[in-house]
Parts: sequence; C-alpha cells; structure tokens
Amino acid sequence: MEAIYQYAWLVPVLPLIGAMIVGIGLISFNKFTNSLRQVWSIFIVSIMGMTMTLAFAIFWSQYTGHPPYTQIIEWASAGDFRLNMGYTIDHLSALMLVVVTTVAFLVMIYTDGYMAHDPSYVRFYAYLSLFSSSMLGLVISPNLVQVYIFWELVGMCSYLLIGFWYGRKPAADACQKAFVTNRVGDFGLLLGMLGLFWCTRSFDFAVIGERLENLVESGALSGAVAALFAILVFLGPVAKSAQFPLHVWLPDAMEGPTPISALIHAATMVAAGVFLVARMFPVFENIPAAMNVIAWTGCFTAFLGASIAITQNDIKKGLAYSTMSQLGYMVMGLGVGAYTAGLFHLMTHAYFKAMLFLGSGSVIHGMEGVVGHDPAYAQDMRLMGGLRKYMPITAITFLIGTLAISGIPPFAGFWSKDEILGKTFEANPAMWLVGWLTAGITAFYMFRMYFSTFEGKFRGEDVSVKETIRIERLQAQGFSMGPGAMNSQELAVADEAHDDHDHSHGHHSHEPHESPLSMTFPLMALAVPSILIGLVGTPFANYFEEFIHAPGEVVPPLGAEVDLPEFLTMGGSSIGIALIGITLASLMYLRHKVNPAAIAEKIPVLYNLSKNKWYIDDIYNAVFVNGSRRLARQVLEVDSKVVDGLVNLAGFVTVFTGETLKYFENGRAQFYALIVFAAVLGLVIFSGVTG
Amino acid sequence: MLTANFPWLTTSILLPIAASLAIPFLPDKDGKTVRWYALIVGLIDFALIVYAFCNFYDFSSAEMQLRESYTWIPQLDLKWSVGADGLSMPLILLTGFITTLATLAAWPVTWKPRLFYFLMLAMYGGQIAVFAVQDMLLFFLAWELELIPVYLLLAIWGGKKRQYAATKFILYTAGGSLFILLSSLAMAFYGDTISFDMQTLAEKAYPLKLQLWLYTGFLIAYAIKLPIIPFHTWLPDAHGEATAPVHMLLAGILLKMGGYALIRMNVEMLPDAHATVAPVLVILGVVNIIYAALTSFAQRNLKRKIAYSSISHMGFVILGIVSFTDLGMSGAVLQMVSHGLIGASLFFLVGATYDRTHTLMLDEMGGVGQKMKKIFAMWTICSMASLALPGMSGFVAELMVFVGFATSDAYALPFRVLVVFLAAVGVILTPIYLLSNLREIFYGPENKELAEHQVLVDAEPREIYIISALLVPIIGIGLYPKLLTQIYDAKTMQLTARLRNSLNELTAERKEPEAIALLKSAEVLTAPSLN
Repeated sequence: MEAIYQYAWLVPVLPLIGAMIVGIGLISFNKFTNSLRQVWSIFIVSIMGMTMTLAFAIFWSQYTGHPPYTQIIEWASAGDFRLNMGYTIDHLSALMLVVVTTVAFLVMIYTDGYMAHDPSYVRFYAYLSLFSSSMLGLVISPNLVQVYIFWELVGMCSYLLIGFWYGRKPAADACQKAFVTNRVGDFGLLLGMLGLFWCTRSFDFAVIGERLENLVESGALSGAVAALFAILVFLGPVAKSAQFPLHVWLPDAMEGPTPISALIHAATMVAAGVFLVARMFPVFENIPAAMNVIAWTGCFTAFLGASIAITQNDIKKGLAYSTMSQLGYMVMGLGVGAYTAGLFHLMTHAYFKAMLFLGSGSVIHGMEGVVGHDPAYAQDMRLMGGLRKYMPITAITFLIGTLAISGIPPFAGFWSKDEILGKTFEANPAMWLVGWLTAGITAFYMFRMYFSTFEGKFRGEDVSVKETIRIERLQAQGFSMGPGAMNSQELAVADEAHDDHDHSHGHHSHEPHESPLSMTFPLMALAVPSILIGLVGTPFANYFEEFIHAPGEVVPPLGAEVDLPEFLTMGGSSIGIALIGITLASLMYLRHKVNPAAIAEKIPVLYNLSKNKWYIDDIYNAVFVNGSRRLARQVLEVDSKVVDGLVNLAGFVTVFTGETLKYFENGRAQFYALIVFAAVLGLVIFSGVTG
Repeated sequence: MLTANFPWLTTSILLPIAASLAIPFLPDKDGKTVRWYALIVGLIDFALIVYAFCNFYDFSSAEMQLRESYTWIPQLDLKWSVGADGLSMPLILLTGFITTLATLAAWPVTWKPRLFYFLMLAMYGGQIAVFAVQDMLLFFLAWELELIPVYLLLAIWGGKKRQYAATKFILYTAGGSLFILLSSLAMAFYGDTISFDMQTLAEKAYPLKLQLWLYTGFLIAYAIKLPIIPFHTWLPDAHGEATAPVHMLLAGILLKMGGYALIRMNVEMLPDAHATVAPVLVILGVVNIIYAALTSFAQRNLKRKIAYSSISHMGFVILGIVSFTDLGMSGAVLQMVSHGLIGASLFFLVGATYDRTHTLMLDEMGGVGQKMKKIFAMWTICSMASLALPGMSGFVAELMVFVGFATSDAYALPFRVLVVFLAAVGVILTPIYLLSNLREIFYGPENKELAEHQVLVDAEPREIYIISALLVPIIGIGLYPKLLTQIYDAKTMQLTARLRNSLNELTAERKEPEAIALLKSAEVLTAPSLN
C-alpha cells in the first residue's frame, strides 16, 4: 500500500499535465489543436479517470485503517526560517479526493454534450483540468501556506471559467467581481495566517492549534487577539464559500457555462471554505468567540440565501442562492462544533447539488433549441413548464435532487441536514429555529423550481412572457422606461448587443428535446449517491462519523444505543416543515390554487427585499465600487496636479535661472564642480564640528 | 585561458560596448543585419555571464567574487574594479536576460536601426557595469553613462510627448545622481585615507550624524530611481512615451538599480543610519504600495497604468529592505528579480497591443479579445503573475516580505500591525486595477470601430517566444523559490546580521525605556520556541 502514498502527488499533477499539454497546444498550434476536439476531451477525461481510480485506492487504503501519511520537502528558506510544502493524506483529504474526482469526472463527461457546439470546446477542457488539479492540490495541503496557494489558484480558475464567454459583458463583470471579492477574503486569510504564524511560529494546522491554546492558557496572548486571528482566517472561507457578507459573487458567477457552475460553484470550490474551517478546526474549537461568529455567519447566510432564492426566476440564480444557503448550513454545523455533520452535508450536497446544476444545464440546453442562445430567455423559468414530457430523465433526476435538498428521507440530504439541525439544537435553540425555518423555505423554493420547470404546460412560445423578460433586462441595463413607452430603437440596440455573442448553432424548434446520453449519463450516475449516500451516516449506523470526526473527538462505537425519541422529534420536525413547504409550493405552482403574485402584492416590502437580494449588491456598488473609483480618481488628481505640478514648477524655475546664469559667462561645468566641492567641504566640516 | 582568473565581468561589460562601436561599419541595407548582429552579441554576452557564474562563482559564499582591480588614475585612487556577490549576481543575470529579450522585442524597429541597436548594446554594457563595479567613482560614472542611451532612446523613438518625457527623465535622474557624487566624495574624504573602493568605504566607521547626511544624499538619488513617492513623477511620463523594448529595460532593469544601490550603499555601508531612518522608509514603502495602486486604478492610459503598477510593486522591495529579517531581505531581492521579469513581460505586451490597436486609451479599446486570442491569453497570465498569483514568482516574493515584516522585532507591535494591514490592502487593490484593465481591453462585445480601422492580428511566434522565455523563470521561481533564493541568500543573511547588530546598538544606546519595553513585550509574544 505504501506505493500509493509515495505516488499520491500524482493526483493533482496528472490533471495539471493534461491542462498544460492542451494549453501549450492551444497557444502554439491553435487551429490544429482546436480541430482535434474530442481527441482532447477523451484525453482529459481519461486522465481524470486515472486520477479518480488513484483517489479511490487512497480512500480504500485509508478506510481500511492505514495511518495518515505526510510527505514534505523544503520549499523556501531564509536564515532559520523554513517553509515546507508537500502533501498529506488522512481521512478528510481522502474523502475530499473522492468527492472532487468523482464530480469532476462526471462533469467532464457532461461537458462533451453541453459544449459540443462551442468553438472554445478544447479550451474549456483545459480549464476544467487545471481547476481539478488546483482543487485536488488544495485538499491534500499539509499546511496553511499551501492551502493559501491552491486557494488562490482555484480562485483564478474560477475567474477564467466565469469569464469563459468573454464576449458577454455580464460574464466580464462577474469574473472580475468574483476574483476581487475573493481577494477581500484572502486578505483576511493572509492577515490571519501571518498573525497565527507570528504567535505560534508555525503554519501547520495541528501545531498552530496546540501552541495557540498553550499561549492563551499561559496568558502570553490574550484570548481576544487569538479570536481576532481566527476570525481573520475565517474571512477566507467567508468569501470562498459565499457566506454573508462576501456572498455577492456567487450568484453572478452563474454567467459561466453550466458545467462549471456544477463543478466549481456548487460541489467543490465553494466547499473549499468549509473544508478549510474543518482543517482549522483544532485552532477554532478552542476559541469560543470565533466559533460563535462562524456559527452565526452560517446561520444567517442559510436564511439569507433561502429568502432570496424564493423570488428568483433564473433557474441557475435560484440554484446559486440555494447553494449559498446550504453552505450556510455546513458552516453553521462546523461553528456549533458538529464537525462530522458539517462535512457529511458537504459530501451529500456535492452530489445532489452537482446533479441539480447539471439538470438545470440540461434544461437550458433543451430550451435553447426553442428560445435561442440567450441566457436571459433560456434560463428563465417563466418560459419553461411541462418539460417532464420532453426530457423525462432530466425531470426524474431533478426531482430526486429536489427531494434530497428538501430533506425528505431516505434521500441523502435528509440525513446530513438533520444531523446538523440536531447538533445545532443542542448548542443553541435560537439558531436551530432559524435553520429549521430555512429548511421549510428550502423545500418551498426547490419545489417551486421543480413545478414551474417540469410540470404544467410548456410556456416557451409565450410572447408576453418574453416581452416581460426583455423589459426587465433593459431596465436592469439602465434604460429607464415604462412598459407603455418603449423606444423601439433602444430596444434594437440592446438586442443587437446580445445577439452578437450568440455562439450560435441555432435551429429553432417548437419543442425542447432531451439531452444526449453524454449529458444524461452523469445525471443518472449522480442520482445514485443522491439517493443512497446518506445511508452511510444514519444515526443507527454512522459509518461516516467513524471515518470522519474531529481530531481528538471520541466517537461512540457503531451500533451504540440511539436516542430514538430524540431522533424522531428532530427528524419529524424537519420532515414536517419540509412537507409544509412542498404543499405550499404545489398549491401555488402546481395546482395554481393560490396566486403567488397576489401574495407578493400584499407584502411589497418583503417581496422587494427578496427580489432585490436585500439590496446588498446595490449597497456594495454605491459604497465600495464607486467609493474606490472616486478615491482613486482623487489620488490621481493629486498626483498629476499637486505632486507633478510642483515638479514642473521647479523645472520651470530652474530653466529660468539657468537662462540668467548664462549671462555670467563662467561656464556651467565649473559652476557645477564648485557647488559640489563646496557642498562636500561643508558636509565634512559640519559633521566634524558636530560629530 | 577560461579560468577563474579570466576577467569575466570586465569582458561582459566591454563586449557589448565594443560590439556597439562596430555597428556603423556593418554592411547593412534594410536594418536586418544589424538586429541579428545585436541579438547575437546579446546572446553571447548572456551566455558568457551564465558560464562565468556557473563555473567560477561559489553560491554558498557571501563574499565578493570574480574580483578584478586595475589601477586607472592613480592620482585619484580611481580603479577599474568589478566584482559580484549575492546582491549583484542575480541582477547581472537579470540584466543579460532582459536586455537580450528586449533586443528581440525591438525587431519591428525600422526607424534609424543602426543608432537604435548601437544604443541598446551600449545600455547592455552600462547596466551590467552599474551592478558590477566596486568603486564609488566608477559607480557614479556608470550610473551617469547609462542615462545617456536611455535619454536618446526616449527622445528619438518615443511617443508624442517624448521630448518632455526625456527631458524630465534626464533632469530628474541627473539631479539625483548629483547627490550620489556628493555623498561618495564625502565618504571618500572622511577619515585618514582617501579611497573610493566600496569595501574600504564600508569598513570606515562614520559618526551617526555624518551617516545620516550621507544616507539622505543617497536616498534622494535612489528614491528617484526606484522610485519612491513623491519622487516618482518622471516615471509615468518616461514609461508612457517609451517604445516597448526601452520600456522593458526601464521597468526590468533600471528600477532595480535604485533598489540595488539602496541596499549596497544605504544598507551595507551605512547600517546605523539605516536602523535610524528605517521607520520613515517603512511608511514610504506602504505609501508606494497603496498610492500607486490607486493612481493606477484611475489611469485611463494603458502604459501609465502599468507604469504605476511598477511603482506599487517596488513598495514591497522597500518593506523587505527595512524588515531587518533574513526573510524580508531575501524577499526584497526576490521581488526585484521577479518584478524585473513580470514588469518586462507586461510592458512588452503593452507594446504588442499598441502595435495593433494604435491607441493606449482604454476608453477606445474593448472586446479585442475576440480577434487577439493569444495576446489575450498572454496578458491574462502576466497579469496574474503581477497580482501575485501563487505558483508565480511575485507571490513568493510578496509572501516572504509579508512574513518577514510581520515577524520582525525591529518595530513596535501596533506599528507592525498597521503596516502589514495597509500593505495587505494593496493585495486587494492590485487585482482591482489589473483585472479591470484586462476587462476593458479584451472582454466584452467587439469594438466595431477599432476592428474596422485597425488590423487586429493575433500574436506572432516571436512574441509568444518572448513571453514564454519570461514565463519560464517566473513560474520556475514560483514553483520552487529556492531555485533562486539559495544562490544569493548567503549574502542577504550576512547583510541582515550586520543590520541587526546596528539595530541592537541603536536601541541599547538610546536606552529608550519605552522602545525596549515594547520590544520585550514583542519578544514575550514571539517566545514559543521553534520546536
């Protein structure tokens, strides 16, 4: 078994090599490389397959009880400072390896169908492979610096992939927003990392935790400072895992192609934040203040995301807010000390949310045949409906995902979410209440999504809905107009602007079609874990907890007595509220007994708050974006007017005096020498006298 | 003949200069022979430098090596003496590398090619001389001589405001170098012996007051070159008007002369003054990082934007120099080399973009990524390198400076916290201006007006080659920084040890109870042993 560990570094390196070969090919022999489309995709997918096999082998070896393995080399040094890099394989990283490689593998297969007609098909595979490499490197990092390195690299891949269709303006804005928002988080992570290094002289997770505890206990370091460092580090996960207040980038990131929304912005990269909190658990768990901040951040984010998801019409945006909300659950779980539960939810969520996103991609792919290649139309649920008839596989898998996320047993999401809620109730009932209500909202908006997409009758040809969407978009672009006073010219301009970036293979039909096998196969494959994977972590036989638990935590043995009444109350209450949510959704969107628009009109304040994402984007835009622009302009003004102005003034004076000097006819060189000599003399004498 | 006694450095300085003198006599009709000639001379010289360092330089020693000394004017004690140590060796290598690539980058220059390549080769020798000479007077001469080619390159091949920019450049730098002369003369005449030899000068014991005067003199000159705000305003003008190859030299090498001389003279020769003045420099460094990042963000002219970004990155060099830690000092040298490579690549790309769009105003660009995919890709990679993406050299350098400064015990804790915090703000600002720059040039729907009037061809192999050549060391250092750091860190450690000595003396002398108490409290906090 030892050999697997010696070659475990191949896990991130293999996809990197794949990405590099394709990347160099694209730069050097662009036309030729692009013409070999499927050759490259098979190459990249098979490399990912090899990586996945290796990951499973590692996982199996860890599961059968191999001790953790760490391999490090000296990376940078100066004086007595040493910085090591390497890889570490333990239970947590083995689990993450399996999750990441399986999702990445399936997403890569799916990509072949989804991107089949895209001219940048090969480039997309190169990016996917590069991302997988960075993500795999992240999960096997042995210390904080290496995590930071890969943390930034996955951020860069996310930037490249969000901006993949760079001809679209929203994509261009979104990728920059994602990178900069994440840099704000990284800023905190960097400061926290430096602070922790300053007081513990180590970047190693376990060592930091231990020394920090000693320092705080001995009084050498005040608890408040330790908490400050911990919270600064936590800023990194806040940005990466889209927690309030740095969540704003995630919904916009949906501008990227759907496969990466599934891989990066649902299953893996956004979970990296949760992973880091888990890795830093030895540090955080000794600092109650930090744990509280983490838990409440997660709790609020869970609610915030769900409350916004209710009113979204864009299917991907809805799923994005739901991801944010689910990540909030995980963070809350870790914050209340439920290490196992948080990571369990990470795993189940990775599978069912990846499936949901891929399902939404399949829907969009089908819709594009009817409404054209415009994300505003192809992703709007108001134009969908009745799709179950046309795309049955997508519909069934989407339903499975919806049931899983809503927390209906025996689907995966029930077990993990219930475990988080149970642990939260023990820690803080108020927090539990928020989480519990959010579970109801989750069931409601997910079924709203399912019903309006797959049930009812198809609305794709509905001209009036299209018109509404068009006006909404124009208003968002800043054309102020009422529906009655449309200036056709402006409309033409705006329409032209997006027609340009249709990378069209447009054949318009009247009915959406089911996606090809390359897209439906990953959906079916992901449906299996979405249904079953929760069973590894039931309270009755918690194999998951036995494998993954916080360092130093004592785990009850398998088959230990389960507190059945407690399980039934907790589980029952979450199922209950989920059912209420589902019923409400079916009344509104399936049977149309209740008109949602009428409810919205009755509570305009709440409706607008949700619809406008709590106005957070607008506030950030006004304060930070415009604020920094204004500040920058002012600084430049000072630079060019004041600083440079003085210089030019001085120059003018010199030239002027230079002109007058000519009249002395004593030659400049001599004068220059004289001044130099006098000054030197003066200096030496001066310092001789005073020194 | 090819032994350790062979005058390697003198040859590497004089070879390009001698070769440049032959250019007027070359049979050449359309300027094509000259550029090959210049390129080959550049390559030979670079190979010579690499060969000499590989075979006759001991990387584990902090001493001055490959020394040569010939009496030039005995009356003045002026000697032609050159040598290399851990401080100058990486920069000499950088010079050879960047200048050779800049010659290749100058391929499309058709206006007065003979004069152009003559100046480029003269620059080559002049730049190496600045880093290699070990005599103060000679240093001053080399410093001044290297200005003339730059001035001419700016004034003849520059943009529309080239006269203004070139004049500003020469006035500024020549004005600054006056202070070098002043300080060197004062150092030479101080004490019993008159000597211009750098090592002799470094060993003299100057009283603190004189040190401070000398320090200020040098600092003004090097603050202009590096540049340190508020002595920076020549730089956006000079950079804004220069052509791409000159640009690569300005950003890649000339700025590093400031950093190099700052370490060589201010830090190495006047350590006591450095220990006293350091807090001021810390503040200047932080101001550099933030102020320049903000001005860069507001700039609408591409060249000036990237020029300001250079200033911002130089702030990290200053912070490293004043950190009084091995790591920080090592990071400062690394940042100089790293920025040399990254800055050169970015400026080359600016030139390549301008060749196609014929505008530098961001407002007139947009959406050119559709036609120029490879240039877009290279821009993205180099911007990522510049915003300190891990895996590239900039990240390692900045990280080393950050860790070095954060763990430095030379400053009181609150001061350090504030500085690290502000420097980290720069980490947020850098991607803001670099990525919005990328967005404004390449992203978005195609700019029809630009596409109609200009031929937006994609990168040619020569351009891809130049960028790849620059990326190899950028990524190599990023992946395994010891590649570079281990060849010079004997020197930086020796430097830091000397500095710390001065620092300790200073704190002991002053006997400021406050400072000591703060230092002690910091020590308590840093107390846990390394094991």
